[in-house]
Amino acid sequence: MNATVVTVLLASAVLTLLSVCMAWVLGWANRAFHVAVDPTVEAIAAALPGANCGGCGFVGCGEYAEAVARGEAAVNLCAPGGAACAEQLARIMGVEVEETFPYKAVVHCAAGYDDRLGHVPYEGEQTCAAANLVAGVQGCTFGCLGLGDCTRACKYDAIRLDAGRSTVDYQKCIGCKACATACPRNIITMVPFKAERMLVVACSNKDKGPDVKAVCTVGCIGCGGCSRRCEVMEMEGNLPVIDYDRYDDPTDFATAREKCPRESMVYVGHPTAEDLAAVAEETLPERIEADFKTTVDETEWRG
Amino acid sequence: MDTFITLVHIAIGAAIINNFVLHYFVGICPFLGVSRRVDTAFGMGCAVTFVISIAALLSWTFTYFILRPGAPLPEWVWQTVSGRDGTVDLSVLSYIMYIFVIASSVQFVEMYVRRFFPPLYKSFGVFLPLITTNCAILFACLEIMKRLDDPLKLWGLHEALALAVGGGVGFTIAITLMAGIREELETCKVPRPLAGAGISLITAGILAMAFMGFTGVDDGIKQAIGMLLK
Repeated sequence: MNATVVTVLLASAVLTLLSVCMAWVLGWANRAFHVAVDPTVEAIAAALPGANCGGCGFVGCGEYAEAVARGEAAVNLCAPGGAACAEQLARIMGVEVEETFPYKAVVHCAAGYDDRLGHVPYEGEQTCAAANLVAGVQGCTFGCLGLGDCTRACKYDAIRLDAGRSTVDYQKCIGCKACATACPRNIITMVPFKAERMLVVACSNKDKGPDVKAVCTVGCIGCGGCSRRCEVMEMEGNLPVIDYDRYDDPTDFATAREKCPRESMVYVGHPTAEDLAAVAEETLPERIEADFKTTVDETEWRG
Repeated sequence: MDTFITLVHIAIGAAIINNFVLHYFVGICPFLGVSRRVDTAFGMGCAVTFVISIAALLSWTFTYFILRPGAPLPEWVWQTVSGRDGTVDLSVLSYIMYIFVIASSVQFVEMYVRRFFPPLYKSFGVFLPLITTNCAILFACLEIMKRLDDPLKLWGLHEALALAVGGGVGFTIAITLMAGIREELETCKVPRPLAGAGISLITAGILAMAFMGFTGVDDGIKQAIGMLLK
């Protein structure tokens, strides 16, 4: 037997032996040094959705679970988990939980590209944050810029642009606040969804009526007609604000909505049966062709 | 007495004169990553010193008996198999062996610390597994291997451990100094283009240059210790 063969055999033998020894030692250590994790923490972590969205204010679901187990955090902070999750956590911790509602994102601007006046072509960096720094991109200095910072911030594909309007898909929205944080104009707020459909004020413009009319065809002119007809609404700086603490599903908003000259109050959320029936006749296009131009715009490539 | 002087010489050499971080530029990742606060930096230094000592102990043992040229185990196997004189060189295995030894010992230490010193485990957090890939530790192992190359001037276990502990202490000194400077930097007005990583690297460079001033003092230290002990 020559030296090469012996070297190879010896090398493999030494490494194999070493691996087996180390595996045995580590396996033994794993059992001998086993640390029992608090079963409460484990149970809470299992009950949480595990999305690690950070909506509760902790780094991840694990941190939140530990904080709940220590009794330092409330059990109803998890927006994606919603009421069911809060109930489970309350049962694990043995505390009572108040009735909670899922907070979901609401965009307070209903104007599309065509509704916004004084809208000039913007050639700069295609983000709202950048466009917000430039004066005169559009007439309205409060409303949506329609460049989609919120859509890019959303990890759950729940917000999209529809002719310049940021539109939330409430079946997908988990209420993580990512879009609200991303919006440079702060027009996305979190609203407690006490019902399937919620009435929201779809305008953020705090200017007086004539100024609003000059920049937008749908914006709120601050006439105050709605707040006089509905007790949960109050005017704050030329805008009606709905007090969601007092918002009750049967609250009759019909008269207030009818009075609104601009249709600034819209229902968001799950559509009603009538709405669904109205569009039931329409057929979806069978196949959507890829639009090359859209792809180029998406990548912001200007070569 | 000579042995003691040699050991102190090796340890001081590894800690200050040939500082792992500031002279050889190994272990830069934790040096920059974990040097934001003095207390965590000191903790990291202690963790590295601990792991480096264990790795040195294991790697000296494996190198001395298996890996070095003329090691007893391959020699015995070769002579038994072939019946001739001579030896087999297994030093090709050194890198894979050291990585293996370091990774497993860090795993073991992590489990041990987690079981018996939970506060320490909490403060080490992610750093302990990260030490697995710390090049300062591999560097110490390779330094020890270098000193076991020549069969006439072999290093003993005590010398290897002196190098490892000295190197670990040197790492702790370097990272703690750096953390102290960076804590002060937080309140300084740094020119914007240099803020953040830029000023940290410049600081590290100046610190390294300052440590270059120790070059060559080892003979003097040796004499001084000799005179003190007389």
